[in-house]
Amino acid sequence: MVSTDFDVVVIGGGHAGVEAALAATRMGATVAIVTMDPDKLALMSCNPAIGGSGKSQLVKEIDALGGLMGMAIDATGVQFRRLNLSRGPAVWSTRAQADRLAYTKSVVDFCRRQRGLQIIEGVAGEVLVDHGKVRGIRTESGEVILSKAVIVATGTFLGGLIHIGPEQTPAGRLGEPAACKLSNSLRNLGFEVGRLKTGTPPRLDGDTIDWSRCEPQPGEEPPPWFSYRSSPRELRQVVCHMTYTTDDTKRLVTANLAESPIFSGQIKSTGPRYCPSIEDKFYRFAEKDRHLIFLEPEGMGTSEIYPNGFSTALPESIQRQAIRTVIGLENAVITRPGYAVEYDYCPAYQVRPSLETRRVAGLFFAGQINGTSGYEEAGAQGIMAGINAVNHINDAEPLVLDRSEAYLGVMIDDLVTRSTTEPYRMFTSRAEYRLALREDNALDRLTRYARQYGLIDDQEAVAFEKLCAQTEQEVRFLRNTTVRVAELGPFESRFKKQTSVSLSHLLKQPGVGLEELLLIMKKGGKPRRPASDALRRAAIQIRYEGYIAKQQREIEKFKRQESEVIPDGFDWQNMNGLKNEAREKLLRFTPSSLGQASRIEGVTPGDLAVLAVHLKRFRDSPA
Amino acid sequence: MAALRLAGKRSLELLKLHFKPAKPSEKFRPFLMRYGVFTGADGEQLDEVLAVYMPEKHSYTGLDQVEIFCHGGQQIVRRILGELVGSGARPAEPGEFTKLAFLHGRIDLTRAEAVAQVISASTEASLKAGREHLFGAYSEHIETIRDDLVTVIADIEAGIDFLEEDGESDNAASLARITSIEQKIARLEQSYDGGRIINEGFRVVIGGRPNAGKSSLFNLLLRQERAIVTGTAGTTRDYLSEWIELSGFPVNLIDTAGLRQLGGSIEKAGQARAEEMISEANLIIWMVDLSRKTWPSLLRHDLTELPKIPILLLLNKIDLIQQTKKDLVRKIDSTVSSSTVITSCKSGRGITRLKTKLVEAIESHMPDMTSGLVVTSARHKGKLGQALRDLRRARKNLVAGESPELVVFDLRQATSALDEITGRIYTEELLGRIFSKFCIGK
Repeated sequence: MVSTDFDVVVIGGGHAGVEAALAATRMGATVAIVTMDPDKLALMSCNPAIGGSGKSQLVKEIDALGGLMGMAIDATGVQFRRLNLSRGPAVWSTRAQADRLAYTKSVVDFCRRQRGLQIIEGVAGEVLVDHGKVRGIRTESGEVILSKAVIVATGTFLGGLIHIGPEQTPAGRLGEPAACKLSNSLRNLGFEVGRLKTGTPPRLDGDTIDWSRCEPQPGEEPPPWFSYRSSPRELRQVVCHMTYTTDDTKRLVTANLAESPIFSGQIKSTGPRYCPSIEDKFYRFAEKDRHLIFLEPEGMGTSEIYPNGFSTALPESIQRQAIRTVIGLENAVITRPGYAVEYDYCPAYQVRPSLETRRVAGLFFAGQINGTSGYEEAGAQGIMAGINAVNHINDAEPLVLDRSEAYLGVMIDDLVTRSTTEPYRMFTSRAEYRLALREDNALDRLTRYARQYGLIDDQEAVAFEKLCAQTEQEVRFLRNTTVRVAELGPFESRFKKQTSVSLSHLLKQPGVGLEELLLIMKKGGKPRRPASDALRRAAIQIRYEGYIAKQQREIEKFKRQESEVIPDGFDWQNMNGLKNEAREKLLRFTPSSLGQASRIEGVTPGDLAVLAVHLKRFRDSPA
Repeated sequence: MAALRLAGKRSLELLKLHFKPAKPSEKFRPFLMRYGVFTGADGEQLDEVLAVYMPEKHSYTGLDQVEIFCHGGQQIVRRILGELVGSGARPAEPGEFTKLAFLHGRIDLTRAEAVAQVISASTEASLKAGREHLFGAYSEHIETIRDDLVTVIADIEAGIDFLEEDGESDNAASLARITSIEQKIARLEQSYDGGRIINEGFRVVIGGRPNAGKSSLFNLLLRQERAIVTGTAGTTRDYLSEWIELSGFPVNLIDTAGLRQLGGSIEKAGQARAEEMISEANLIIWMVDLSRKTWPSLLRHDLTELPKIPILLLLNKIDLIQQTKKDLVRKIDSTVSSSTVITSCKSGRGITRLKTKLVEAIESHMPDMTSGLVVTSARHKGKLGQALRDLRRARKNLVAGESPELVVFDLRQATSALDEITGRIYTEELLGRIFSKFCIGK
């Protein structure tokens, strides 16, 4: 046995690194986080918010797997609300404004208390590998830390280069150095390393904003918390604001496009289309005269404001002028300039669905290094990498969630079957089984894994079982309780042929949600029922049950396709009969099932047929 | 001229063994046609031929391949084949080259199916449909519809995922789009009836009382038109079935010789089979013997007993009576709306008009034949029907103000139905088709 210092070393203390380290320690491993600044764990480098469409589902999944993100935001959020409330519950997405520094502090405190976890200040410079197996890391200062598994979660620090106008500074965040040696170490190990870009807006001094000219956006009462494990707390929610750019903004930004490194040619890597810089917005959507800007507080103890929607890499002097053309920001003072940052990533075909690299056993990638963007995406990968690093050490099968089980499964499957062309952000539309992958049932979907791997304690498991029992009870209540049609008010006209209707039937009507139902019950003199979590869950379950039964058939089809597993020893090289493009793609992504192969771009039905034939031959041939 | 194809590792070797080039100094170069003499193993010169060699990377079959073009006489072709087999070749199984092309990724499964259809096409229309599928016009058409559908989905999805941006989803526009997609799919689905006729033939049953002239008509049509030789044609005790090509359409002619010989010698089972033949027909030609005085009342009676299938009335044996068309038609009850042709199978009078009527009847079963986009598979028709049902539900929900994730759900279901036609979605069914079409592995 080679002696090691830790079971797992996690490089980077961001959202991915922290969840990875915590999951691994919960499974009993000894873990070290190697980070440049132990006081900045899980720092929100960009917007001070957690959740949003597609992302909140990831947070709920992290929470179901025993992760920290949901609890941390519940403890430090300053405003909570659900997006998409006018749409159906499958796409309801919780979003919270965070007190940025309080969030980090709570994560730091939590990690310091976590047994088995050590936080080491340092900069990882090299991944140590012996005969294709990871052995640990060497820091830039030369210190060697031996481990059985290494998780790389470097965010924008890997080869980070910040652009403000024509100025370029190597940095991971503004004022914080980049990690440059580690990229070379990965290249030397044979990894393909690419470049991506992202950006952030300038921060404003809230005391210099004319709030009377902006539209207020209050939080939702009571606050929709993220974690079922959080204990409710008193919260006086802060108000966010919305405002708009003006014709002057458009004129000024358009006139100065050439000053932006995004347009001058200085930045060649691709940024996210869904989160464009203000330069991009005016350039690509020239027909639009104004753009929406959200003014979000960075926390309770600070007056700093994050103008969401105004990401820019224009020179600081132009940023100053441009921000003052926005309604209400006429006298606004910039506290920190916006910037664009380019960083290294490793195209994710190089990792398996377990997030272990194909090239080096025991080496895992999580977060932006896999080409994603966002705290939630990072945290979700982190927790999977942490679980599977320990599985690797224990010689156990990796945990791989599939597309029908979790957003997490959708994300990782997307990453390993698609070429990254821009930073990957989660959306609900990426999940084809969206109606079954909801915020409200993340626990039902994932608690069994959390228990299997010891990620939650008995108390939490019992709480979940209680919730399930209550939900079943409420489902029975909704099915067995009827109301008279005459008492339905605006919905009466929909039930002309009957005199009474069950609550469950009502719930399936367009426009009838739990709120409407409770109102109807109240009018009908039915026993008042509190809008408990269990009742909410029951109502959603009933509303979708018909669709989900139908979706189940699709899921079964999908599962059959996934079960056509392509074994590890499959001979990809000698598979004649494929078009070159398809051969290259298959060799690159080495899919682990026919289903996965079918999702690789550029692989046609004909190619799949050929692959199926070879696979059958391979299986039938005597070993 | 005849063309012979050899595929496999030893193709070139075998060619060199039997082919004496006119210019022996030249080497075999890929795709270069060479002129020379084909000789037998004993040195006998069999024929002047052209020969070409295609290396594995660039051939249809994906194997080393040789093609020999010789004179077309059956005798000479048989001799050359015999020599090649004598030297170690074996005759290809039907469709084997296409199977090789498929297994080597030269063509995908839908194209392989299309090749099979082109090869086995018995008529011009069948060939045309096969070609449309082969050159991908059909898949392209479905892909275009799919694109439209994805655009609608994207619009609605944008409203869900990017609600904070402006760009409220425009329901009216989505509704109009969905309706137009529905129409396109419905049109395609309806073409299936035409597609079935292309593949299975337009089924015409010749019926009538004994001695109405059914067999005469049957034989006359077979004599005048190109008969199609098929494996299914055959004679039973109960009926005769033959195929002819009429204006490019395959027509399956069925002579129910024994039917309606009520109380005759035909056994019950035979009767039942003949009844079944009639019920599956696209058209009945009902023949009337004008020389029987009671024909109008017999006809009225018979018409009430025939199944609800389009009927073409043939007033036959006009040569035996002295009456005008007007008189005849007056004798038919005005309630009989079937189109009528007056014929004499003996003199041939009216037969051309009968054929015109037949072609008209076939064409009326063929919607949108001009585009050549015809659904010929029951599986495809099923999927199109499924897509239509999903689209209708989506439209209904959109109108009713149902929440968008449910509208999208049905739209996505419709998309996957289309994807299963083009093979974009990989299903076990597809795998099953591969393994049933081609014997692979053990």
